Amino acid sequence: MGLEYVRISPGFERYMPRDYVDLVKFGQFGKQVDVMQLGQFKELVEEHPMCAGCYMAYFIRVFYAALPNPEDTIVLGTAGCARLALSQAAVPFIYGNYGDTNAVASGLKRALTIRFPDKVKDVVVIAGDGGLMDIGFGMTMHSWFRGEKFTTIMVDNEVYGNTGGQESGMSPKGVQLKMAPLGKKFDKINAVELAQVAGCVYVARISPTNPKRIAKVIRRAIYAAREFGPTFIHAYTSCNIEYSIPTREVLKDAREREKKDFKFYEWMTDEVKEYLEEIERKEKEKAKQEVK
Amino acid sequence: MYFVAEVNEKECAKYNCKQCVLFCPEPNCLNYKESGHTAWVWYDRCKGCEICVYVCSDLLKRHCIEMVMVKSGD
Ligand SMILES: Cc1ncc(C[n+]2csc(CCOP(=O)(O)OP(=O)(O)O)c2C)c(N)n1
Ligand code: SF4
Ligand code: SF4
Ligand code: SF4
Ligand SMILES: [Mg+2]
Repeated sequence: MGLEYVRISPGFERYMPRDYVDLVKFGQFGKQVDVMQLGQFKELVEEHPMCAGCYMAYFIRVFYAALPNPEDTIVLGTAGCARLALSQAAVPFIYGNYGDTNAVASGLKRALTIRFPDKVKDVVVIAGDGGLMDIGFGMTMHSWFRGEKFTTIMVDNEVYGNTGGQESGMSPKGVQLKMAPLGKKFDKINAVELAQVAGCVYVARISPTNPKRIAKVIRRAIYAAREFGPTFIHAYTSCNIEYSIPTREVLKDAREREKKDFKFYEWMTDEVKEYLEEIERKEKEKAKQEVK
Repeated sequence: MYFVAEVNEKECAKYNCKQCVLFCPEPNCLNYKESGHTAWVWYDRCKGCEICVYVCSDLLKRHCIEMVMVKSGD
């Protein structure tokens, strides 16, 4: 990753805020970090106002550490909790209108391809279950039908968290929420299956219990989108506020859900599989050489 | 006044571990010192969720993290 992107102009070093200087000196710029090095480098995402113990915030933390090409990535978010952290990172962020993310990302990715034909530019949408599977459902689906080459990540907390607890299409059947007191009458949408049928070339469902696996899935989804078409990650990211999970038990809850309805699932087309195996083989070789 | 996590660095250093660092939701809040082989908390960034205590005490039975009260001026 290029250091040029963040270099401080000579003479200005002592006027820059500490967080910025740390980012230049100890950040991801100029090197490729491994997610297992978290806590030993300055992360791209800064302090943010998401709630204590929020595992959507955790997922976003791992997301930034996993990015294969942060200085040439644009993140697209929208109304909902995730943007509270997405907007505090040293990676360009665009706020799409609620429901519009995948339409904006389609245009953006196409424009970047025309403007920078010789460069890889990654576009990643991160939005909530409400944003992608309810209000933005049409835009999400049509971006997949059209085969747009970017990654969509649904941070699914199974509720409209940011607006105080309305049910979404992703809330489980029977669940009672603050603003859905009668209990949900319909099944949770099978987003992963929809994505597969709608034309995604790489699809994964994951509960955030293993940072290495989260990073792997994110990198695979981004790599596959560069060459082949839309990719989709369905991540369980609990809302401890609306689901009244004691914060100390947030990871325990993620582990329990992983055993039930959030079992790890990954699917890709044969050509994506071949392509990813090649990339991962090269990455391993490079890492081996660096150790030597 | 609010609670933040505090690592007992002497205890933690015995394990060559780092697991809590990998599960804290906050960026650069729980960090890791390679030199001392220990996790440490940047108190200003800690929101007191205790996920690290779950990892260290409930999962790993290592009991190296304690929640402590910060007061104004700390
Ligand atoms: C067009 C439009 N409709 C409604 C809203 C109000 N609104 C803001 S956030 C939100 C729900 C967010 O739910 P979700 O997408 O699941 O994200 P979460 O907060 O749960 O992460 C709504 C309905 C809006 N900002 N714009
Ligand atoms: S309301 Fe829920 S999803 Fe939103 S920041 Fe708080 S815990 Fe996270
Ligand atoms: S989980 Fe406990 S033993 Fe492991 S690094 Fe954290 S504080 Fe140390
Ligand atoms: S209490 Fe929560 S925010 Fe504070 S260090 Fe532990 S895991 Fe991180
Ligand atoms: Mg939601």
